[in-house]
Formats: sequence, C-alpha cells, structure tokens
Amino acid sequence: MADEHEMPPSLKPVLDQKSLKWIFVGGKGGVGKTTTSCSLAVQMAKVRKSVLLISTDPAHNLSDAFGMKFGKDARPVTGVPGLSAMEIDPNGSISELISAGGDDAQQAMQGLGGVGNMFQDMAFSIPGVDEAMSFAEVLKQVKGMEYEVIIFDTAPTGHTLRFLQFPTVLEKGLEKLSQLSQQFGGMIGNLVNARGGLPNGQSFDDVLKKMEDLRDTIGEVNKQFKNADLTTFVPVLIPEFLSLYETERMIQELGSYEIDTHAMVVNQLLFPKKDNPCEQCNSRRKMQKKYLEQIDDLYGEDFNVVKMPLLVDEVRGVESISKFSEMLVTPYEAPQ
Amino acid sequence: MPSVLLVVFVIQLLLHTLNTLIGGDNVNQLLWAIYIRLPTPQSDDARKTLQYGKEAQRLKREMAAVSAQDDFAKWARLRRGHDKAKEQYEKAAASQQSTRQMFNRIMSAVRWLGTQGVNFLINTYFGSTPMFWLPQGWVPYYAEWVLSCPRAPLGSISVNVWGIACGSVIAMLSEAVRATITLKQGEVIEGANKGEKLKMEAISIPPVSKNSKKEL
Repeated sequence: MADEHEMPPSLKPVLDQKSLKWIFVGGKGGVGKTTTSCSLAVQMAKVRKSVLLISTDPAHNLSDAFGMKFGKDARPVTGVPGLSAMEIDPNGSISELISAGGDDAQQAMQGLGGVGNMFQDMAFSIPGVDEAMSFAEVLKQVKGMEYEVIIFDTAPTGHTLRFLQFPTVLEKGLEKLSQLSQQFGGMIGNLVNARGGLPNGQSFDDVLKKMEDLRDTIGEVNKQFKNADLTTFVPVLIPEFLSLYETERMIQELGSYEIDTHAMVVNQLLFPKKDNPCEQCNSRRKMQKKYLEQIDDLYGEDFNVVKMPLLVDEVRGVESISKFSEMLVTPYEAPQ
Repeated sequence: MPSVLLVVFVIQLLLHTLNTLIGGDNVNQLLWAIYIRLPTPQSDDARKTLQYGKEAQRLKREMAAVSAQDDFAKWARLRRGHDKAKEQYEKAAASQQSTRQMFNRIMSAVRWLGTQGVNFLINTYFGSTPMFWLPQGWVPYYAEWVLSCPRAPLGSISVNVWGIACGSVIAMLSEAVRATITLKQGEVIEGANKGEKLKMEAISIPPVSKNSKKEL
C-alpha cells in the first residue's frame, strides 16, 4: 500500500506550511472535529508564535475539551503557551451590529418602534445575513489581533459551507437594501425623524455604510480563503459510509469554492489485538478497514490522510489533548 | 415569365402551407435540424452537447451499478465524472439555447421576407396592372372601385384583390378538406386535443319510420 506517490500520513506538512494563516476543521457532527482542532492547535502552537482557536459551532465544546471556560473574547489556554481560544455564536443578532456593540441595542430598537422592526425585518430577509454579519464582525476583530494562525473549529458540514458562500449572498442582499433605501430612504427618514431620530444620532445611511464596510471585509477575507498558501480546510471523518459520503461531497463543494484541501483526519479507528475475543470490535474493525482502503484509494494521492485511533477514554483536558495531538504528527503504531 | 395570376396564387398557397398547415415553429425546427448537420461551428457544439449528455447518462447508469458502500472509491470517481459531465452538458445546452434562439429569430425573419415580403413586392410592382377585366356592368361603380384598389384601372381586378381572393379560397378549401378528414375519421386530427373522439356523430340522418309518433 505504501505507494511512492502517496503523501505522508501526518499533519506535519500542514504544520510546516509557514504561509498558512487560516485553517478550517470540519466534518459531520460527532466525528471529533473539536478534538482534532484542539490537537492541531496545540501542535501549531509549538511551531508558531501565536495561535488562535475559534469555535463557530453553536454547541460550544472548546470549554469542555480544554476543561476551562472560554467566551466571546480570546483567552489564553493555560498549559499551552502561545495558544488562545474563543467561542463565538454565529447566530448573533443584527441589533448588536446597529449599536456597534453597545448594550443599549435592544433599547434602541424598542425606541424605534415599528420602523426599527421593519428595518430589522428587511435586513433579516436576506438569507444568512445575520450569521454573515456576526462572522464578519469576528473576522474584523480577528484581523485586528495579531495572530499568526487562526484555526476554526466549524459547525457541522452544512453551516461551514454556507458561511463560505456568504460574501456572494451578502453582496446581493446589500445591493437590494441600498436600492430600497434609495427608493424609500426619504420615507423612512421622515418616519424616523417623526419619532425623534435614531438613537446615538445614527442615520440609516450610517447603518448601510456599516454594512458595506462589512461586505468589504468579508470580500477581502474571502480572497484570502481562496488562496491555497494562506488557507486550508482539514476534513475530519470516521470510516463509515455516511461520514465518507459527506466528506466527498464537502471536498467537491470546497473545490467549487476554490478552497484548498490537502489533508484529512480519519478518526476513531479501532485497533483490536490479534487474539482479541471481542466479536463486535473485530467485525467493526473489518468494516473500518474496508472504508480505510477506499479512502486510501480515493484520496491517498492528493491528501495527507492521518489515521487516529479511538482511545479508551475521552480526550479531555490539556494534557490528554497534548498526548493525542502527538499522533497527528507521528503516525500511530497499533499494538500487535 | 409565368403569369402574375399564377405567381400570386402560388405565393398564397405557400404562405398558407408554411404558416397554417406546417406551422412556423415546425419549420424552424426542421431548418435547425438541417443546419446542425451541416459543417458549421454549431454542429460541433451540438455534437458535443449530445456527447456530454450521453456521457452523463452513461456514468449515471454505471454509478447505479456500483455499490457505494462496498466500492466507495470507484463510486466517488464515477460521481465526480458524472457531475462534471452534467455540468458541461448544462453549460453547453444553455449556450446552444441562445444560438438556437438567434437562429429561430433569423429564420422567422427570412421566412417572413420570403413570403410576405415577396407578396408585398409583387403588390407594389404590379399594383397598376389589371389582372383581368370585369365585363362591363356586372357590378356597380363602387364595387368596381373597390375591386380595382389601390391603383389598378377602374373596371379591372387589382393584384391585391386577386391575392386576397386566392388566400381566402385556399384557406376555405383547406378548412373544408381538414374538416372532411376529421369527420371521416371521427376524431380530432390536429391541435391540442388531438385524438379526441368527436362529440358529433358522422352525418347520417336516421330514417324516420312512418308509424312513430312525433314527440312534441
């Protein structure tokens, strides 16, 4: 099986790729994205000055994995020098945006009454815009922070791909919005002024301008995402049909967005000993072997296929993750 | 030089055949089918489109024959090929569609010029030539005037009127022929409800027996 053309089964090439700035880790739910991204982050922190790990999964697991509490702001991970982590909610609301982070956003919206709601409805009518907005906000923040590498622990498959489509979606939406504001701007302006104007002395033009800024940010970031030197996507999968199927679909889709993928992590492999009496383990191993062969056949030439074992205990805590992460670099040798 | 009377009649016949009996769309389709068989750049595209379509279908069949669970690598490769072929097919078909629309437009224009245009030319050129003369006193003055419209000498039939007469007669005759066939077959022979049974019985008058009472 050790074909000369095959790429080494470790993430070392990714670690060595010094130009990388953005790394996405994604896959179906429950395959071990968070564990993998944490491990990758730990390994990355060894070779780079500063690494930021961001979870965009609404079901935040980073806190769980490292056994410490993370929040909206980047916080260093104790025990891993050079690594910080943060958890963001991709379902943030637009009112946050309007008040530019102020806490009186809700109040502002209430003060606006019907008009505020109307505007909110209008903005929300663009599919995926709220997620895009909050993502863009985060990206803006992140761009300001000087991290060498940023690793995204993404939400299960669909969400990730949707996020990567956002710039186009948003562009269309914003076009429509600015068109609307040109047509009805006067009317809205009158209504707002009748109620005493927007809080904080803002105007709809300001809000629109803010949105356009965001679009520029997203557009710029997207350009970086399409650059294979700067960005790579690491799919995580388990050797089972559905996971494999989703991964293939995802890789094709990423290809259509021109996002580079050249490494994948096959997780939760069973390595029962030869004389193992556990029937279940053996038959499962047989199934996994079948899919592993298929994976090697299909991706072996173009991908670093990293094979990770299923451990007997949960991978939690810095120490456990550090140990697990070693196997991303030096391939796991199964006990005979 | 054949007589103008005959030429006008033939043109009217052609017009009727093309536009009513065959239909403009069908003519366009036929011409398109001929056109893409000629050595034109479009024929290449058409062949490619067909090829992509066939390729996509073949891969789809093959994909169905391979078990995704047992032979994922092979299946996935087939699927990649299939997706690619399908995409190419759709692209090619779309680009061909625009060419075809252009072609249809041009062909419709040519057809129009070839029939109505020629008609117009003849009407203009022979506008002041009498087609034939009416015996004097057959019709009153104002009817003579109408029949010689627009420019033929009074008392004659103008080319325009002759054309209209030919067209009307051809239309009526064709209608009569089609109606006869329809009645004979007992079902609709053209149009949207083709093949439908006629609601009307073929013309056959039931014999009225002398004894039967007439119901009032």
